[in-house]
Amino acid sequence: MSRTAAIHPLRLLLQVNLRQLLRRFQSTAVQSPLWVIMVVICTGGYLALSFWLFYRGLRFLETFPGLGALLTERLLFILFAFLFILLLLSSLVISYSNLFRNRETAFLVTLPISRETIFQWKFIESAFLASWAFVFLIAPLLAAYGLMRGVSWHFYVLTILLVGMFVVIPSVLGSWFAVVLARYLDRRSFQVSCVLIGLTLLSVVAFWPQPEPLTEDMLEVRVLAILDQMLMQTRFAQFPLLPSYWLSSSVLHWAEGAFATAGFFALVLLSNVLLFGFLCLTYTGHFFYDAASAVQSRNSVFGHWIFGRRHKPSSSSPWPAKGGLEKVIGWLPWLEPDLAALIVKDIRIFWRDTTQWGQTLVLFGLLAAYIINLRHFSTQLTNAFWVNAVAFLNLGACSLNLATLTTRFVFPQFSLEGKRVWILGLAPLGLVRAVKTKFTLAFSASLIVTLGLILLSCRMLRLDFTRLSYFAVAITIMTFSLNGLAVGLGAIYPNFREENPSKIVSGFGGTFCLIVSFLYIVFSVAVLAYGSPWVASGARSVSVTLLCMGSFLGLSFLVGWVPFYWGLKKVANFEQT
Amino acid sequence: MIELVQLVKRFGDLTAVNELSLTVGRGEFFAVLGPNAAGKTTTIKMLSGLIKPSSGQARIAGFDVQTQPMEARRRMAYVPDFPFLYDKLTPAEFLRFTGQLFRMDEAAIVKGSHELVARFNLEAYLKKSIEGLSHGTRQRVAIVSALLHDPEVIILDEPMVGLDPHHARVLKDILKEKTRLGMTVFISTHQLSVAEEMADRIGIIHHGRLVALGNKEELRRQSGVDGALESVFLALTMAEANLLSDHTHAPTSKPQ
Repeated sequence: MSRTAAIHPLRLLLQVNLRQLLRRFQSTAVQSPLWVIMVVICTGGYLALSFWLFYRGLRFLETFPGLGALLTERLLFILFAFLFILLLLSSLVISYSNLFRNRETAFLVTLPISRETIFQWKFIESAFLASWAFVFLIAPLLAAYGLMRGVSWHFYVLTILLVGMFVVIPSVLGSWFAVVLARYLDRRSFQVSCVLIGLTLLSVVAFWPQPEPLTEDMLEVRVLAILDQMLMQTRFAQFPLLPSYWLSSSVLHWAEGAFATAGFFALVLLSNVLLFGFLCLTYTGHFFYDAASAVQSRNSVFGHWIFGRRHKPSSSSPWPAKGGLEKVIGWLPWLEPDLAALIVKDIRIFWRDTTQWGQTLVLFGLLAAYIINLRHFSTQLTNAFWVNAVAFLNLGACSLNLATLTTRFVFPQFSLEGKRVWILGLAPLGLVRAVKTKFTLAFSASLIVTLGLILLSCRMLRLDFTRLSYFAVAITIMTFSLNGLAVGLGAIYPNFREENPSKIVSGFGGTFCLIVSFLYIVFSVAVLAYGSPWVASGARSVSVTLLCMGSFLGLSFLVGWVPFYWGLKKVANFEQT
Repeated sequence: MIELVQLVKRFGDLTAVNELSLTVGRGEFFAVLGPNAAGKTTTIKMLSGLIKPSSGQARIAGFDVQTQPMEARRRMAYVPDFPFLYDKLTPAEFLRFTGQLFRMDEAAIVKGSHELVARFNLEAYLKKSIEGLSHGTRQRVAIVSALLHDPEVIILDEPMVGLDPHHARVLKDILKEKTRLGMTVFISTHQLSVAEEMADRIGIIHHGRLVALGNKEELRRQSGVDGALESVFLALTMAEANLLSDHTHAPTSKPQ
């Protein structure tokens, strides 16, 4: 066999994966042009809307005499500091799954490719996956900032280069953390630890801050003192060893025309990127292989915990006894055994899939932390308009969180079940009943959370019973509609070929579900707020209120029930064919 | 050509492979058999470098898989039970990619592929996207890519799964021809007929230990059963299971 001067394996891997990416785009464009149009419109809409909002916001800050520049500067420092933390977390999670839960990695390990090269390729891929969305998110802000400051073209070139360099550092740190965690911590324990840390942080955010109560008098007289306090509390973003500090300083100084200082910070960033990049690309491969082997070689550490041992069945029978969940569901007298079995199975899968309840906890936990903190502002929320506005904004935030989760987790349910159609489809239970049960379970479970949050919000805003009931009914209807939409569209646009739920969601049906959910929430909250009988400037006429409520009910029926009904019809047809 | 020296792999409390020592010579067709969760796949994973052994050594063509991984991997090929392929590539592109990883030039790739593609009837699929291929066809592509660089050692984990009888025959014929030319074949299978028909020697692994080793006649003698390989296999594994249940605690779980 003749051999050739070798092409570097990294180049081959880049070529192959770029070709894969290109073909994926091409096949999507050919197979789902509607999806492409939808994504292009939404992306363009986001860029335009966020640019406009950022531009207006920055202009507004500029109107504060003597303080505008200071506030804008601090805003950029804070933005990049949080971006750094988010990129670090994002690259940790993506690096972990890309390095240790990836079939391509396992394939490459058996080929004549050095461990360093495999790690280099996976690092590049993870860094790209972890950072592209963040770059996309901040692009309108930087463009708005540049326009507001009237900078020349080279500001944008430098900013792109700086952001490109900046993302390397959190990506390197994220990949190192991933390697260390994989080497020493079981995946499940890692996920549980992340959730526990998240919960602890949320608790701290919810209960630790004790802001100084502000009175109208203080707001009028002590503006500078309050501003000074705010600037003090956000000083962490200007810690000189943070990479975000170097980036922000360089961007801000370049915009001001202080090129030498901007260049200095750019070089500090570059030197760190080179150092971290060099260490990552040359010395991590060996540790990566050790960690990959450890991941493959590990039993669940839960089995070694005292808790795990205590709960191991003591009976000599190999057949495990019914769990607590089965017993609880079994007590519900109206549930037939087959439906009970399906519910137990779905709850177990949800519980054992840390991704699902982890994301649910984070999304609703953040909202809960915010709502609990409303108590600190209740003394300032004396104006009926703002109380009403905050209550409706909370309704919107709660529904948006729910829409994210229904699209991510409820929408792919039928596709995933369809893959195992031989279990449910061939059982006497039938697919239609299975889908109805899934809807009922998703609706009931999400209602507990959404209703709880809205009641908490009303309590914090000290709303009376009538308004509390109004918001409770509204969120119940929205929970019904959003779940109906996700279950219905999931059945109408199934994807039986894909086993990964996130890939199912990223198709046409999932994107459509997310957009419809978003539009439904915006319209519903707007129409309910407009027709609210508690508007500050005097009550609306009864006919307007009734018309708004009627529109909300009609739209909820259209968005929730109609797709659900058509979904059930499609499932029934699927079962018969 | 393949040397396993006191190979041990532990998953927490469970010893999946226990003091496994084995030598497979050049040009030998070696089949490893065993019940589910016996330790066959773990052995193969250590041999192919996917996981590190807890202790002991695995060598391919004299090179330690852990300390000289590149030398070992250049001389081997591994076909897992569910091989990874790039979905958006065509089989032709995938074969070129793997050939280039093994430093083959274009002419050698084309020449090497030509015969294998023809024998596995893959001509019609060469320019089609891999994502649209059936499991059996994907398996054939993976096997061709593994054989393309003419490895000194090929390790196959359940290669017949998904193959129709015709292509299973083709694979058997090719492996037999290759062994005559000096290639070492290490195959794990539950299809006793494959081992019976093809293997020069058979190893039976049970509870992580090599409980029997030899050609068919030698296994018959070891088991005391004079019949088909199935009877021999059942006798050996049952005897081992009985021994274990009498004297030791059998492992109860297998890692995911």
